[in-house]
Amino acid sequence: MSDPRAHPDLAGEYVLGLLPPAEHEAFELRLATDRPLALAVAAWRDRLHELDAAAAPIPPSPDLWAKIEGAVAAPQGAATAPAASVYPRAEAQGRPSFFRGLWESLTLWRGVGFAGAAASVALGLVLVAAPKPRAPIAIAVLLTSDGVPGAVVDIYADGESLVAPLQDVSVPDGRTLQVWTLPDVQRGPVSIGLMPRAARTRLASMELPAPKPRQLYEITLEPAGGSPTARPTGPILYKGYAEPPR
Amino acid sequence: MTADVFATDRADPCAADLAACARGDRAALRAIYEREAGTLIAVAARIVRRREVAEEVVQEAFVQIWRRAGSFDPALGSGRGWVFSIVRNRALNAVRDERHVPVEDDALAAYAEAATDVDDAFGRLAASSALRRCLGGLEPRRRASLLLAYVAGLSHGEIAERLNVPLGTAKAWVRRSLLALKECMA
Repeated sequence: MSDPRAHPDLAGEYVLGLLPPAEHEAFELRLATDRPLALAVAAWRDRLHELDAAAAPIPPSPDLWAKIEGAVAAPQGAATAPAASVYPRAEAQGRPSFFRGLWESLTLWRGVGFAGAAASVALGLVLVAAPKPRAPIAIAVLLTSDGVPGAVVDIYADGESLVAPLQDVSVPDGRTLQVWTLPDVQRGPVSIGLMPRAARTRLASMELPAPKPRQLYEITLEPAGGSPTARPTGPILYKGYAEPPR
Repeated sequence: MTADVFATDRADPCAADLAACARGDRAALRAIYEREAGTLIAVAARIVRRREVAEEVVQEAFVQIWRRAGSFDPALGSGRGWVFSIVRNRALNAVRDERHVPVEDDALAAYAEAATDVDDAFGRLAASSALRRCLGGLEPRRRASLLLAYVAGLSHGEIAERLNVPLGTAKAWVRRSLLALKECMA
């Protein structure tokens, strides 16, 4: 263990796509603020890029550009697929194609088109409508894969959390939204509660340590009653990390 | 505009196009597409194995490129590298979503193709390339461990299975190959 060569080059393994899901997630969060790490990733991308650049091109189908142009012209959030689960390798039994179909169903996405405008309005409502002037010890703003705010989680000192969705999502019958956090990479994601409808939801106290700065939170779509494996199995709708309010 | 900016544009036209995308210029996105789509589909196809899925990946990636162009930071590598990294990430996500779908024959066929693709990717590197020289200096199975991850998108477990070695060995090979490559290319 004392041999430095025994330690993985995380930036290199990240660029190779080899980090286990939870580590991959934690690594990307670090990247946002850790400049030397971001430079190490950039160096690995440069070193390996030629393998991609030298690939023999496959001509695109004639209609591919039209599809891209259509999606780009559509309102934000309406046309893109979700971020794949950050824990994809952890739950082999997740019936991925089913979830993929579910995600792409119009029902689920109805109403999301207004997300951009609604987000700022809803954010205001959260502030105005807060039931009592109790200050959270941390707040997590969860984003869609396109960086649009999707939900806010307030975490209180007694372990209670308040989740406020910022987008309209129709949760299909037999499904629920589930809120997760990642207290530490070794332990893995921990459920902090279910949200059967996309509405402001108070989640009971959890015996979890107070969130660390930049602790990951996310909301996934799961079977009613919650994930059967105690790990996220469905697509991630929103994710982001907690910070104490300044 | 200074001469330096033009020099940068020539070396990495994607960087200039991304800046234009961030200003809402859809022709710049089209320019990236015209230049790179074929290669991007090829890179995605080596990971997701199916051409139609590769096209979906590239389609989603272009939407993401358009929306995130403003966050491209030229200090963190080339515009072209940024575009490719978005496609790679989406391809890896797609394959990890679908890898568990039980299609034995397809999976076996895909495995065989992965090996061919990996050899092909190495073989296509320019003779003068430092990457080629340095990869060429690795023991063949260690080189394969690295290429199976990068080119074919395999996990540590899949690489171990593929190379018929214990998981710990596969991890150690990747680790040492990265170290050797970094030193060789320094």
